[in-house]
Amino acid sequence: MNLVLIGLNHKTASVELRECLAPPPGTLEELHQQALALAGVREVLLLSTCNRVEVLAVADQAQAALEGLGDWLARGKPMARASFLVALYRHQDQEAVRHLFRVASSLDSLVVGEPQILGQIKEAYRVAAGAGATRTVLNKLLHKTFQVAKRVRSETRIGGAAVSVSYAAVELAKKIFDDLKGRKALLVGAGEMAELAAEHLLTQGVGEIMVANRTLERAVELTGRLGGGAAYSLEGLERALAQVDIVISSTGASQPVITWEMARRCLKARRGRPLFFIDIAVPRDVEPKVGELDGCFVYDMDDLTQVVEHNRAGRAGEAQAAEAIVAEEVVKFSAWLRSLAVIPTIAELTGKAEELRQAELGRTMKDLGPLDPAQAEALERLTKALVKKLLHDPIRFIREQGHKSDEAQRTHLALARRVFKLSQDDQDDQE
Amino acid sequence: MSTTLHWLTLAAYLLGTVVYLGFVIWQRRGLHAMGRAVLWAGLGLHTLALAAAWIETGALPALNLRQSLDLFSWALMAATLVVNLRLEIMVLGALSAPLCALLLMAAAVLPLPAAPPSDLLKSTWIIIHVLSLLAGYGLLALTCLGGGLYLVQDGLIRKKRLGAVFKRLPSLTRLDSLGQQALVAGFCLLTVGLITGAVYAQITLGSYWRWHPKEVWSLVTWLCYAALLHTRLVQGWRGRRGAWLGVAAFAALMFTFVGVGLLYSGYHSFEALPTLTGPLP
Repeated sequence: MNLVLIGLNHKTASVELRECLAPPPGTLEELHQQALALAGVREVLLLSTCNRVEVLAVADQAQAALEGLGDWLARGKPMARASFLVALYRHQDQEAVRHLFRVASSLDSLVVGEPQILGQIKEAYRVAAGAGATRTVLNKLLHKTFQVAKRVRSETRIGGAAVSVSYAAVELAKKIFDDLKGRKALLVGAGEMAELAAEHLLTQGVGEIMVANRTLERAVELTGRLGGGAAYSLEGLERALAQVDIVISSTGASQPVITWEMARRCLKARRGRPLFFIDIAVPRDVEPKVGELDGCFVYDMDDLTQVVEHNRAGRAGEAQAAEAIVAEEVVKFSAWLRSLAVIPTIAELTGKAEELRQAELGRTMKDLGPLDPAQAEALERLTKALVKKLLHDPIRFIREQGHKSDEAQRTHLALARRVFKLSQDDQDDQE
Repeated sequence: MSTTLHWLTLAAYLLGTVVYLGFVIWQRRGLHAMGRAVLWAGLGLHTLALAAAWIETGALPALNLRQSLDLFSWALMAATLVVNLRLEIMVLGALSAPLCALLLMAAAVLPLPAAPPSDLLKSTWIIIHVLSLLAGYGLLALTCLGGGLYLVQDGLIRKKRLGAVFKRLPSLTRLDSLGQQALVAGFCLLTVGLITGAVYAQITLGSYWRWHPKEVWSLVTWLCYAALLHTRLVQGWRGRRGAWLGVAAFAALMFTFVGVGLLYSGYHSFEALPTLTGPLP
């Protein structure tokens, strides 16, 4: 039995490729079932965020499972197979554990230390468990993962500062508006990234999210998902601007949507209340000159990334401390994982012995004829004790293999299985 | 008695300054609580010191520049602590404590009033006149400090320099509301102070208005603040513009408070005050 992980992330694959692979919402449960149906896959968990798509699985045979999962991921997707295969990384056992721990501790994130990833993994686990796709190994692994991430977070200061971009935006907004409770935000354009930022604002207490979009239908649809604020078309933009405090713009327009004149008129109507523009569009939506107006603050994507970079420098040392924690936990978990490999053998051995004992006992009882309960009891005890004592040393030998290297473990287990003739479905022996 | 209390007050303000500097550097909430407690204790001592001086001379201790600075220091500390109850602008303590300590030290080197106060200065009118004006000065000093901090923080956010200073300063909105609340309250007290002064002048000196430089400058200052309040509340001149105006108006106020008293002689100058007798010719 092996633990395998296959996937791609922001370091190995372009946005287009990641988008292509990202499962549409609502299909996750079915996808788990599909993956479970692949040959040799016992347990599975799908993790999909905007920066990564990964499949974690427990399988009988690592190599076969990795190939099967790779094919399955590529199936029916409109993309170049070659570029896809190059982008994939594949990990087994200890390395898979390490990868998962690093991802959960936010060491593998685009912005190291950002806090959202742990929640995303928890959600992925919830879905997988709900679909019945996780059992002993993944349950234990995921719980351990949450512990490790928590430990990294509490023992290092990796997540202490403003981290991901939307997080940085919120920190800034707090330095302008103090409390975000009851503030209003406006999304100009209905991009996915803006939506994410808006969700983050909502969790910070922002009272209402309005949307202004080129097509009104899309704006209405988005406000429906974001707590039902007002929706505007772009013609109503100026009217919307006068009412809000935070503006997140992400249109695909080639010319600035928010001009200096518009912002100036708007400030007058707002009687000087400040206005914070977060411009994540490329090319930019807000004229840079707007930032010179009294009470207008404009941060574009580069500025926000800089804020994040600023924090990143201080986090380099913390990241090393975090890596050390991860390494330590990987060793601990791998010991458990390896000891797990011997359990089926032990179970089979004791199962077989018990079967034999029952059969022999049954036959003897028949030959002996009726016995009084004390005698039957004595026979039962005798046979049980015999089996137990006989198996004691072999089982200890098999248990010890749990702590040996992979190679030694494999050969010794195979030997044990042959000695006790347990090898009916053992693939190592069939080869 | 009042001298001992004066030095104890100074010691408390200096200790408060040190603790608050520690708070600004290490950002521990415990230090802030400690600093606040020290400053409240200092304000208590300061109040006792002023009361003692009042009892000793029989008149409100605002007879010359020394006593006025002392009283101003008290007003600034009181305003800071009271405003902090509501707005929790923690760095304010780190600015007010050293300022108040400096004012007390300046007061200590200045001479005591030369002559015992005349009975004209023991009236309730004078007490209201002086106390409301000085409390107003304390509050308007906060408007100025808040404005200064606002300009710094605004500049940092605008230039995208989000370093240690940015982290330690409060949000723009909070600084702005500090400026506004202190401005409204300070302006009201200023108005009360000017009216009581004029009324008492009519009672004792025979006219409301004598075109003395102190009176003219007071009127100019009052008009400045009236304009500031109007533009802020009616036209929405907040933010940078409001902050600059708050700083500029405070400069006019300080000139009226200290400068006029030193530059011009006359019945309202610091030298002439204790011996003021009326009615004037």
